[in-house]
Amino acid sequence: MSTDRAPATVRAYLEELRRALKGASPGLISDALADAEEHLQGEIAANPGKTEAEVLDTVIRTYGTPQEIAEEYRSMEAAIAGPFPKPAQKPQHHGGFFGVIGDPRAYGALMFMLLALPTGIFYFTWTVVGVSLSIPFLLFIFGIPFALLFVGSVRILSHVEGRIVEGLLGVRMPRRLPASPAADETVWARIRDALTDVRTWSSLLYLLLRLPLGVIYFTLAVVGIVLPLALIGGSLIDLVSGHSHVTITDVPWLDHLFHTAPGLVLLMLFGALLIFLVLHMAKGIGWLHGHLAELLLVRL
Amino acid sequence: MAEESPYTRKFRKELMAGLSSLVLLAVLARAGREMYGYEIAKAVKAEGEGGLIFKQGAIYPVLRSLDALGLLSSRVEASAFGPPRRYYAITDEGRRALSEWQGAWRDMREFVDDALQAHLAAPSGPLLENHA
Repeated sequence: MSTDRAPATVRAYLEELRRALKGASPGLISDALADAEEHLQGEIAANPGKTEAEVLDTVIRTYGTPQEIAEEYRSMEAAIAGPFPKPAQKPQHHGGFFGVIGDPRAYGALMFMLLALPTGIFYFTWTVVGVSLSIPFLLFIFGIPFALLFVGSVRILSHVEGRIVEGLLGVRMPRRLPASPAADETVWARIRDALTDVRTWSSLLYLLLRLPLGVIYFTLAVVGIVLPLALIGGSLIDLVSGHSHVTITDVPWLDHLFHTAPGLVLLMLFGALLIFLVLHMAKGIGWLHGHLAELLLVRL
Repeated sequence: MAEESPYTRKFRKELMAGLSSLVLLAVLARAGREMYGYEIAKAVKAEGEGGLIFKQGAIYPVLRSLDALGLLSSRVEASAFGPPRRYYAITDEGRRALSEWQGAWRDMREFVDDALQAHLAAPSGPLLENHA
């Protein structure tokens, strides 16, 4: 079952496997690639006398062609419930609009939004400093290792961000760092790989984007948490103390309404309603951001 | 091995889909220690005359699914050279499943053998050729 041009190197095999898995969930792809790499390297280590091409020739018969392997992983994911556990596969409680109050995903997303500012600042600073040092340093002999080190750090940061995104937003991300380049590769080959890898650029873009997005998320989250609490707490205090602090000079009837007990109760209910709206918003943003992260950090 | 028809390949594949879990649990239970994927692949190959009954690559997704079901546990360990290895070990739940599955497999085998014997007793189809 060998194809016309069977892959002769581990790298080529993994590339072909990645192609064969195109469209599958990124987590599945990274699992399949990690397994294949582990096996192929094991096979190479076990056959020190053979060339990489010879080993791969055997491997394709014993391990399977990239197409066969891709099919195995796909059918495995389709056949068995929860073979690759996804947070999304937990029993979902669709409680309608108000059900969101018990949805862990909404709170995870809210948490993510709060964390997005500090992490965003860090990512942005790291990226800007790294890029702006890497370029002038390229004039010097130590510039090349520095740039490679920086690219490596971007991969690690992206991976860490991926773990956060999976943990809080429930979008499946790779469990492992991407395969590191083979040790025997020349520096030039590594640079070429890093520069031609779309993932390097999309990860950089993501890390930069995270700052403005983080500012927006953080602001929305803080306002979203504080506003309903202030409305509820404020009207409660007003109700208890019997003295309304609400003044809306522009709209006299509203101003009047909020000086009555029913008006304050209404305001409180509105605050409570806002909590649900905010949770829905957080969930929506979480979903959007999760997919953005998936696109820029994994899929491309 | 002679080139098989697509039907046969599909049939083998479907048979293996459930059995590979059983085989892998058995291998890990017998080993009684943690093993990593490549090691398991080699152990499975040595299990019988099978060899190419199924591709070694097919065991990895099964290992992951058994892990996800809690029948195996796994941990990743960096190796001195090459990529990190994922070590698998059978859990107590896995041992329980293994003994139940062995029973299920025996029942199944008897059932299938009986059916095939009956078929052999009154030969009418091409099935005989396989036994010739």
